[in-house]
Amino acid sequence: MLRRYLRLLGVQLRASSLLAMQYRGDFVIEGIISLFWTATALAPLFVVYRERESIAGWSFGEALLVIGWFTLLQGILEGAINPSLTGVVEHIRKGTLDFVLLKPADAQFLVSTARFLPWRSINVLAGLGLFVYGFHLIGRAPSLVGVLASLVLLGTSVLLLYSLWILTVAAAFYVVKVDNLTYFFTSIFDAARWPASVFRGVLAFVFTFVIPLAVMTTFPAEAMLGRLPWTSLVWAVVGSLLFAFLSRRVWLHSIGHYTSASS
Amino acid sequence: MISVRDLRKHYQVHKRPPGLKAALRSVIHRTYTSVKAVDGISFEIKPGERVGFLGPNGAGKTTTLKVLSGLLHPSSGEVRVDGHVPRHREDAFLKKIMLVMGQKQQLLWDLPPAETFELNRAIYDVPRAQYKQTLDELVTLLELEELIGKPARQLSLGERMKCELAAALIHRPKVLFLDEPTIGLDVSMQATMRTFIKSYNERNGATLILTSHYMDDVAALCPRVIVIDKGLLSYDGGLDALVQRVRPEKRVVLRLNQAVAADSLAPLGKVVTHDNVTAVLQVPQDAVNATVSRALSSLPVQDLTVENAPLEEVMSELFAESKARREKVGA
Repeated sequence: MLRRYLRLLGVQLRASSLLAMQYRGDFVIEGIISLFWTATALAPLFVVYRERESIAGWSFGEALLVIGWFTLLQGILEGAINPSLTGVVEHIRKGTLDFVLLKPADAQFLVSTARFLPWRSINVLAGLGLFVYGFHLIGRAPSLVGVLASLVLLGTSVLLLYSLWILTVAAAFYVVKVDNLTYFFTSIFDAARWPASVFRGVLAFVFTFVIPLAVMTTFPAEAMLGRLPWTSLVWAVVGSLLFAFLSRRVWLHSIGHYTSASS
Repeated sequence: MISVRDLRKHYQVHKRPPGLKAALRSVIHRTYTSVKAVDGISFEIKPGERVGFLGPNGAGKTTTLKVLSGLLHPSSGEVRVDGHVPRHREDAFLKKIMLVMGQKQQLLWDLPPAETFELNRAIYDVPRAQYKQTLDELVTLLELEELIGKPARQLSLGERMKCELAAALIHRPKVLFLDEPTIGLDVSMQATMRTFIKSYNERNGATLILTSHYMDDVAALCPRVIVIDKGLLSYDGGLDALVQRVRPEKRVVLRLNQAVAADSLAPLGKVVTHDNVTAVLQVPQDAVNATVSRALSSLPVQDLTVENAPLEEVMSELFAESKARREKVGA
């Protein structure tokens, strides 16, 4: 079973790379665009930190780590999650989701792995660059435990992002024009570039529990710095698994709705 | 192979009268009406049979095909395809069927069809050796050699349809659902598709259901037709028998040596068309012999043929007939 799906993933990846190579001009354009976005992501940080030494307990170097995680996750989001799932919206609109549902394989797996944009991985490299620069400013290297913990959190963050996307896409089964919803999602994700402690009150609650942005970028940055409590790590793992489970249920329910309602 | 008993599929559709006021009202209070896409149809199809679904637009043909392929859940009724309940969408069931829709495509748009074939091979778990054999066969029969290496977006509609068909046959399905597979294709491409579909059915003993607006498709492929109209089954049987029932008259087509007056044709039968040297007469079946001999003796006939009414005409008459019947019942 697992081997079959790994093989399927391989075939899907192959098709995506073929596509990426067919349009290799994109490589240059995507590269320039992603560098531009990294730069714009940094701009407000430079503005704010010119005025003061630290914000909500985060020095400039430490805040760079959060931006680094933001950039890295953005690379994964736009390279591996976004393209496939916006494809689902297209499928629903054109009615070609029928072909996916006719295949003897899990529909969520098929649509989630349908399209990758390998060139977007440049963002991942930019994120890694920011880590190096951030620790250079802080003046020390991260501990091994810190790095390992942050890798675990990379997994939970990706899982969270993916689950949130699945939930967004599931909405497309009910309201066909979901484009606005995806913009909404991207602009909310934008808030993840700030350390979570910047947000207070209702926003802090929303960004931790409803749309767990804090867990996605601030937790791994804190883990790298060696100041994330173990409980938070466990919490992140459990929380992201719960989110994944929830999104799977919603997806299955939506598919059921689609097959019993559409013509 | 396929058994459908009292199948119904009703949709809840949100309806509102035109106008801004009605639109505003519908935001708060929605009225739903139930549309009966399929309203109680039953039929049985034996293995290897080729059956045509006929009916006007919105008759419920596509809905029925989608229920049979497991894409739609029936509102009520019992559906079985080779022992499976389609809506459970078990892998074993999905591996036995295929659905081709002339209006929608599964080919990866920017990649050559060969990549879609490869993807389907992996999804359907087709062993390499069998895949190669199937593909070779499809490439030869459908003349795909030149096409499978070009990106799908560069293919013409007809070329793309051939590849669509091939992509759907990679796993050698036993049951073929074809929803208007020849729509928009030119005459020769339609003929190619027909010949291929028929030979696939004969060689593999596959069962097939076809819907098409081109009567030639149905006449060439389907010895049996099921007519669906407004969600109801209005005929199930042989195509010839259907023509006999709806339009028992035959057509006598005359080609004349010289123009004749309309008056001289009228006594022979109902004149369908008449221009200078050709005339088409409609006569009851039992009067064909008499009409032919009278025409031969009284007119300068060069050539004479006896034909059935064109299928298109038969169908539109059938649909008009059932519409009139419904209206009468409604009144």
